[in-house]
Amino acid sequence: MNELGRNIKRVAMIPAVGFAAMCLLLGWWQVIRGPELRAHPNNSRAQERLNNIQPGAIFDSEGEAILEVEEGPDGWQATYPAGEATSHLTGYNNRSGLQWGLRSARLGIGKHESPWAEFIEGPLQGNDIHLTVDAEAQRLATRLMRREAGAVVALDARTGAILAMVSAPTYDPALVLQSEWDFQMFQEDPGKPEYNRALQGLYPPGSVMKIFTAAMTLDLQRVERETTFDCTGSYEIDGAKVTCPRAHGEVTLDEALQVSCNTTFARLGRYFTADELADYLQRFRLLERAAVPMPSSTGTIGEFTDANRQVLLAETAFGQGRTLVTPLAIARATLAIANSGMALEPFLVKSIASPSGRVIAAGRRNEVGRAVSEETARIVAGMMVNVVEEGTGGVASIRRLKVAGKTGSAENPHGQAHSWFTAFAPADNPQVVVTAVVENAGAGAETAGPIVREVMALLLSRSGAG
Amino acid sequence: MTAIPDRRRTELVLLLFVALIIGAGGVLVCLGMGISVLQAARPLAVVGAFIAAAMMLDLADPRRDRWLLPIFALLSGIGFLLLWQLDPRLASRQLIWMLTGSGLMVAAYYLIEDVRDLARLKYTSGLAALILVGLTLVFGVEHGGARLWLDVGGLLSFQPSELVKVLMCIFLAGYVAERWDLLREDTRRVAGFQMPKLRHIAPLLLMVIFSLAIFVGQRDLGAAVLFFGLFVAMTYLATGRKAYALIAFVLFAGGAFAAYSFFPHVATRIDMWLNPWGEPLGRGYQILQGLFALAEGGLMGTGFATAGGATIPAASTDLIFAVAAQQMGLFGATAILLLFALAAHRSFSIAWRATDRFGALLASALAIVFSLQALVIVGGVIKLIPLTGITLPFVSYGGTSVIVNFIALALLMAVARDCTPHLRGGELS
Repeated sequence: MNELGRNIKRVAMIPAVGFAAMCLLLGWWQVIRGPELRAHPNNSRAQERLNNIQPGAIFDSEGEAILEVEEGPDGWQATYPAGEATSHLTGYNNRSGLQWGLRSARLGIGKHESPWAEFIEGPLQGNDIHLTVDAEAQRLATRLMRREAGAVVALDARTGAILAMVSAPTYDPALVLQSEWDFQMFQEDPGKPEYNRALQGLYPPGSVMKIFTAAMTLDLQRVERETTFDCTGSYEIDGAKVTCPRAHGEVTLDEALQVSCNTTFARLGRYFTADELADYLQRFRLLERAAVPMPSSTGTIGEFTDANRQVLLAETAFGQGRTLVTPLAIARATLAIANSGMALEPFLVKSIASPSGRVIAAGRRNEVGRAVSEETARIVAGMMVNVVEEGTGGVASIRRLKVAGKTGSAENPHGQAHSWFTAFAPADNPQVVVTAVVENAGAGAETAGPIVREVMALLLSRSGAG
Repeated sequence: MTAIPDRRRTELVLLLFVALIIGAGGVLVCLGMGISVLQAARPLAVVGAFIAAAMMLDLADPRRDRWLLPIFALLSGIGFLLLWQLDPRLASRQLIWMLTGSGLMVAAYYLIEDVRDLARLKYTSGLAALILVGLTLVFGVEHGGARLWLDVGGLLSFQPSELVKVLMCIFLAGYVAERWDLLREDTRRVAGFQMPKLRHIAPLLLMVIFSLAIFVGQRDLGAAVLFFGLFVAMTYLATGRKAYALIAFVLFAGGAFAAYSFFPHVATRIDMWLNPWGEPLGRGYQILQGLFALAEGGLMGTGFATAGGATIPAASTDLIFAVAAQQMGLFGATAILLLFALAAHRSFSIAWRATDRFGALLASALAIVFSLQALVIVGGVIKLIPLTGITLPFVSYGGTSVIVNFIALALLMAVARDCTPHLRGGELS
């Protein structure tokens, strides 16, 4: 009998352990995995609950609302106070722009769910989003880009915060969904207004690439600022011919950048290997996607083979070849020069605030590694100042301010060259970086330059540095 | 009349406390559903059935366990509150089953003069179990892909596997108690193991084959696991040898693998369990809806009378625990699990205090069936094991299930009454 009693006690342990294990696993599903399951796309009860949550509003850096939410006959409705100036940020429905990218933050679900949400009575409210962009700069850039196609990106040179991001042509988000017909016209518009060119547009960099070629060869110590090259107006390599509008004669590297001498930079293609090029493209993050919650493209430099290596290196070095980059990537690489050679990853969300105003998450300066040495960055910045003060970039100069910049005319198969300009200011204490590309607008300085200048002047005056 | 002994008062206080909880819950459900608060009398009737039963049991013989009734009263009450919101018509039927069941429990307690006499009915029980399963295999009616029901007179459908459960407990307890010494000592060495002789173990082996037959023939994985677990546990109780349990598990794993390979419906269940995310609207639907319900509940639950049961398939039977976890949260669901753990503990403690071998084995078998059943269905809901169609005792809807559980409860209390001589003041010391 004693033995049976002992066996019974042992068997009785099994359910005890079993029930304890069940409690733990139950906690795993209900509490730890809970937020994720509550936000799961196949969770229909979640959809019902989500429909009751008032999504958060979106504000610019100064607290101006660029997206507000009000209750309409068919549930929550977004309004767009800044209209077309911020359309690519807000999107036009809850499946586009930041409305989609920041969906869980605006609804306060998933990883943004407050652990106390279930204790709070009354209608649930999502989190408000505060962006780093300045609506005033958005409006200015949008106005300047009217009737053009292209993009403008402005970054805070000290933190990497995105101060403006405009894609043209733009659209009025309130009008897109007015009727089926409006929506169809919007989608079939040959100008592709839905497409965010700042993040998704892939353009040949043209001569703005010369900044990074110069930085790279200087950083590798293959050349110096005063190294001289002889420009005869054309340069041949493996049967390919690179030409300048005129023979620049004997030029230093500094002067070559000022006059944007193609043959000199094509020659620099011999000063580094394809691997070194790939390394520096990575350091400048010229081909990387943007770390923002919206779709963005990856750049490319084409395929290097034994047959095309020398030609492609030469062409890439002066900005043609098969290189394709996004406007944001050029702005980000320019930022690395402005920030003493240290690469920063731009960010768009300044903070996410709960309905009670508590900051749940904040965007912050994110150093992602050194692009070039401080010395190299200083030299290149000086050369870029000369471009604006004495060279091709004169149109971007601002009175009483040292601007460092570079023009670009990107030849492309779609007609006239794309006009590029990328710049930062003040050169000795950089505060803003602005990059603009205008499609098929011809030579660099004429179209993109003034746009950059205007946006830069506005941002500097608003930050109190102008 | 002497004063009510302490433990009797404890039971009454506990039952009144249960009535308070269920009454309050009932009022909340009434308010949530927008019906008169007086309707809260319905869930209170469930607890009332237990209180009346407790009093009538005491008239027969007050020497019984004082904890099981309050535990199961609370579980039944919670189950009723959940069913009520899911389907009021179903809840009314459940109430009738509860009243009938508690009446039958009292009747059984009266009729069984000495639970030890049941040992003589072991072969009758075993045979009855086999016949019931055979009948289901031949005449069974399919509900939801499993052939588990027998239609009786075209009116009531009756789920024999529930009754088979109790019959099997009686058979196994009787058989093992009678062959106690033979099973343990009349052994021979087979492949390095001390094995009982075939003629002693044959009826038990028959039962293993029988449980696998249910598995395959009726598509009833839950019942198969239940009977198999019961069989292994009883073998262990009889011999105290872990090796047998180990061999049994290897055989079971082999059998399960074979079933997975040869029977598509088993493979479907297993695949659905391993990866429900692959087909969220197809085969994975049921388990995912259960998990979503758990997640929805979170720590504190959504509260009674909040929507949600509608999207869960089989919410009133197999997945009632998911509904409970949604409405009552992790706290409430853990409380339910603790109630089952407590019930298991009480039942096992009746078993190990019993001085009679048959009584001890019967109480153990009932305790194993109760707790295993809860573990199998809850384990299925929380995706620990494949989800099977089986009721959560006293909580799920199910006429046969309710009645049989009450009978099992009567047997447990009868064991406490007849096999534990050192009862003091109406309580197990």
